Amino acid sequence: MKKLDKNKLILGIAAPVLAIVAALLITSVIILATGKDPLHAYAVMADFGSKSDSQVWIINKAVPYYLSALAVAIGFRMNLFNIGVDGQYRIAAFFAAVVGGALTLPGFLQIPLIILVAMLVGSVWAGIAGVLKTTRGVSEVITTIMLNAIAAAVIGYFLQDGRLAVKDGNLFHTPNLPASSHFFTIPTQPAPLDGFLVIAVVVGFAYWFVLNRTRFGFDLRTVGQSESAAEAGGVSVKRMIVTSMLLSGGAAGLIGMPTLLGTSYNYGTDFPIGIGFTGIAIALLGRNHPVGMAVAALLWGFLERTGTQLEFEDYQQEIVGVMQGVIVLCVVVAYELVRRYGLRLQQRQVGEELAAQARKTEKAEVSA
Amino acid sequence: MHRVSKIAAAGIATAALTLSLSACGASSTESGGKDKGLGLAFDVGGRDDHSFNEAAARGADKAEKDLGVKSKMMTAKNGETEADREQRLTSLAEAGFNPVVGVGFNYGKSVNKVAKQFPKTTFGVVDSPSQAKNVYGMVFAENEASYLAGVAAALKSKTHKVGFIGGVNNALIQKFQAGFEQGVKDTDAKAKVTSEYLYANDDKGFNDPAAAKGKAKGMLDAGIDVIYTAAGQSGNGSIETVAGKKGTWAIGVDSDQYLQPGLSQYKGSILTSVMKNVDVAVYDLVKSVHDKKPLTGTKSYTLKDDGVRLSTSGGFINDIQAKIDAAKKKIASGQVKVSDTPAK
Amino acid sequence: MELRGITKRFPGVVANHDIDITIHRGTVHALVGENGAGKSTLMKILYGMQKPDEGTISIDGDQVSFHSPADAIARNIGMVHQHFMLADNLTVLENVVLGGEKLHGIGGKARAEIIKISDRYGLGVRPDVLVEDLGVADRQRVEILKVLYRGARTLILDEPTAVLVPQEVDALFDNLRELKAEGLTVIFISHKLGEVLSVADDITVIRRGTTVASVVPGETTPKQLAELMVGSELPSPQTRESTVTDVEMLKVDGLRLSTADAEGVERTVLDEVSLTIRKGEVLGIAGVEGNGQAELVEAIMGMRDPDGGTITLDGVDISHRPTRARREDGIGYIPEDRHRHGLLLEAPLWENRILGHVTEKPNAKGRLLDLKAARADTARIVAEYDVRTPGIEVTAASLSGGNQQKLIVGREMSHHPKLLIAAHPTRGVDVGAQAQIWDQIRAARREGLAVLLISADLDELIGLSDGLRVMYRGRLVADADPATITPEELGSAMTGAASGHLTHSDSDTAADSEPRPSQEGESE
Repeated sequence: MKKLDKNKLILGIAAPVLAIVAALLITSVIILATGKDPLHAYAVMADFGSKSDSQVWIINKAVPYYLSALAVAIGFRMNLFNIGVDGQYRIAAFFAAVVGGALTLPGFLQIPLIILVAMLVGSVWAGIAGVLKTTRGVSEVITTIMLNAIAAAVIGYFLQDGRLAVKDGNLFHTPNLPASSHFFTIPTQPAPLDGFLVIAVVVGFAYWFVLNRTRFGFDLRTVGQSESAAEAGGVSVKRMIVTSMLLSGGAAGLIGMPTLLGTSYNYGTDFPIGIGFTGIAIALLGRNHPVGMAVAALLWGFLERTGTQLEFEDYQQEIVGVMQGVIVLCVVVAYELVRRYGLRLQQRQVGEELAAQARKTEKAEVSA
Repeated sequence: MHRVSKIAAAGIATAALTLSLSACGASSTESGGKDKGLGLAFDVGGRDDHSFNEAAARGADKAEKDLGVKSKMMTAKNGETEADREQRLTSLAEAGFNPVVGVGFNYGKSVNKVAKQFPKTTFGVVDSPSQAKNVYGMVFAENEASYLAGVAAALKSKTHKVGFIGGVNNALIQKFQAGFEQGVKDTDAKAKVTSEYLYANDDKGFNDPAAAKGKAKGMLDAGIDVIYTAAGQSGNGSIETVAGKKGTWAIGVDSDQYLQPGLSQYKGSILTSVMKNVDVAVYDLVKSVHDKKPLTGTKSYTLKDDGVRLSTSGGFINDIQAKIDAAKKKIASGQVKVSDTPAK
Repeated sequence: MELRGITKRFPGVVANHDIDITIHRGTVHALVGENGAGKSTLMKILYGMQKPDEGTISIDGDQVSFHSPADAIARNIGMVHQHFMLADNLTVLENVVLGGEKLHGIGGKARAEIIKISDRYGLGVRPDVLVEDLGVADRQRVEILKVLYRGARTLILDEPTAVLVPQEVDALFDNLRELKAEGLTVIFISHKLGEVLSVADDITVIRRGTTVASVVPGETTPKQLAELMVGSELPSPQTRESTVTDVEMLKVDGLRLSTADAEGVERTVLDEVSLTIRKGEVLGIAGVEGNGQAELVEAIMGMRDPDGGTITLDGVDISHRPTRARREDGIGYIPEDRHRHGLLLEAPLWENRILGHVTEKPNAKGRLLDLKAARADTARIVAEYDVRTPGIEVTAASLSGGNQQKLIVGREMSHHPKLLIAAHPTRGVDVGAQAQIWDQIRAARREGLAVLLISADLDELIGLSDGLRVMYRGRLVADADPATITPEELGSAMTGAASGHLTHSDSDTAADSEPRPSQEGESE
């Protein structure tokens, strides 16, 4: 057993190391092809990325990414591909902003209310895809993509002067949240950390706990590993699909909250979009693991932070995008390779051990 | 539960470590202030969008030629957040560029916010008002120039059907729509204006020429023969489609698109362009900083003072120039008020 | 053909070592051994699909070395695989010439050749029929013809009888005798000892990767053969004692179920199925696969909702209860396809132990999992049910089929079910594990368990069951007393040829040489 555990550990580390080395090599070749020095680029990134303000920036940037990755990962663990996280968080943030902007309650009521509305709207939006899949058999990939477009259209309709938004210069946005709804920040130098970091850590822990320590989580993982075995084991796969879509959508509802409650205080035409898609990449990169995704989200933030700096050193702006893509590809490939190797290794070890046992009993029989 | 508490402890320890890390170490924004020239932060599409960004870039080019002021240009990606924009502006200011200009109303908030951290640097923002004392806000009366485009379109249309394509349905583009529709209606009461948007609220609308192609195709099929597209780089798709059908006209935006080398094969179909003199505005700002008399506050570029205008390259509107000039006069004199929101 | 000292190693395991076999021209030579004894590897070596690490193969005195099946075919060796490799939507003629177009073209000449071969060996193949319209036995004959068409003089048949009913087996053996009479050599792989004894001229027994004995059918008995295969004396036969009580445990009444196939055509898969199983009773369902057995099991498990009829467990109507509730109510389930329905292949053994019983002790405490208890109980199952594994953290996929099945049986038995549904419980399981699984079913039956047994292995059915029903096209068409019935008689009911109550007729003198589980203790 000891041996197997040690192998497991080595294999667990092997995959990310392999991926990062491969990604660095490929990126270096690409940078060389543009006629620049890759080592200098890495030095610039490491230097700039480790500055204190960069650290704060990276962490704040990583918080919504992490929440997005969690939302995606809930689906992934079920073998559901929730591409709609993007639409879910946007429509969730929009209606949360509308509700928040219309009310003036004390912060301890108003903030939870806004977050609750966001989670609820996100759930409903994702739940539509779940219900369509279970009742009509429509692939969630299709429905969630469509729902993204519908979400954008719904927001676009309401985000007009005289509907649910006000005009502010060239921007439309929902009425500003009252000051009581501003989320707390963690005072650090030179800039404060987003208080939503705490929520992200809590949600990450809850994700781990529910999946690994509860009956519900076991059922969910069972469906993800083998739908037929889950069905035979008594899991109602259909109900599980709807439930996990609701959960995924609820988590997606949180993605826009750091922005809404921490920086913009309204949902405007400039509200960030596309975080749902970034979440897919980060969930892949972090292998759906709560800690892995945290590391991946930080890495993503680091690359975005330092990418701008590369532009000043006359590297192409697109280099960072290429790096991000290459890393995700390398990770997916490396994990698959290591997983297969690990499975073969284990089978061989089991075979060896059994053969050794058999030889022992055979000898015993002979000597008896 | 033992394991759980261990993990929780590890989590807290990690968080604490991260916090302490961010508290120490040097900050990257501690220098700054040298005059390295103009820092230009583009919206999506980049300097070669043949349109809005390119107009700003022309201002920068002129500044380099006339004043010897160098410039650094950076471009936004799709799906950016405030943090990304703030970082871009901060980096430019930090690197010693002065002035730092955000091209596009998306930079409205971030320019005004970052400007406060760099009081010695002058900032500029196109399409957004100034809210800080070292910010120069450049806003344009797009609706007024669009009104003239509407006049031209109404006069040139044989089918009495004209179209408007907006990149993103936001307040700025609605100004284009409002002016255009009003201009058409005031000129030809029978004319029907169809106004459509590529995206409800996704900035991708400004660099998705394929989507504009589709919209334009649909309009042409419906018998519309003049299409005015206000969609940044996406407009190229619309112009290309219009050029494919004889007897139809495209109206360009922001730059004089007849003169764009990238669009030269379609220029025979470009009736005119609604020009925002972003280049002039940017040049003004650079020059003022160069002369140590930095401009601040919000400046409105209107039809009256040629801050916006209709291009005449190609001579396709020479025959109706008199009517256009008459309309211009009415606007300049205040006889006609051009609305900045579409009539509903 | 001679094989000398053949050894093949796979990483970590020796699949074959020191194999010595001499096969004479014009004979049927049987290779017998448990699952996993190394028969298949040996066949792959013979057919050029794998290269031996050591040892030599010689044919007619020439030493040969095969690098691919093409080399084997060039030496007139052909193989009929266990899983047929035919294209359903092509005709027999097209299937036969496919890939062998150069031999006789694809037209009249090929047809003439096919008919010639078919007549010569009495295969009765019709060249213009679509393969999808053929039954299993006909397909097998097409496979054999395909090999002969390519000029094979030595045929390797891998478990050819696994998919056939007894009557079809007899027909196949007649074909094999024809081939032999024409001077062809047949290598016949099987673990069904009765069949081997009836058709083979020579028998080679393989155990743990090596040849342990060569015998002639006249000088051995099924029991001796089985002992050679397993390597030890078999448990002594057990006398049959009825443990059937009067208490009805499962009552299925008028169960109806229809499904829509891919084209949307409604098809009745269960038609007025009624049966009763009492405490302590094993009810066996015989039938050719695909006649509704799988659907019956799924309806009782709650994986399919019946269109009509009732299912009553221990006096409670469970017709429409969810699967989980039925499991909690005491239905244990050994699924037909353990990889699809019984295991999470990439999950560790202890998670597999939780599968299907996540709400029950010791796996859960309230809504939380009790990982410690589940792990401890997994270790107990591994020890009690003799699951051969280095530990409970290895994935289920790394265990052999027999050990996977022992884990499933252990898991289901650990929750003391009232009713056990055992679908093909010993399929693909080695002899040792098979005997253990039978023992466990018998032991539980003594304690009052009701068992619904579905199996394609008629000896298993007859040996274990207290009552037998035959299923044909979604209906229970016949019943029989396992004490007197023979596999042949059951077989005719399975093909729809007989119905009602089957009785043993003494005029049917077909030799029943197959050992049965409760009589000889094991068979395969």
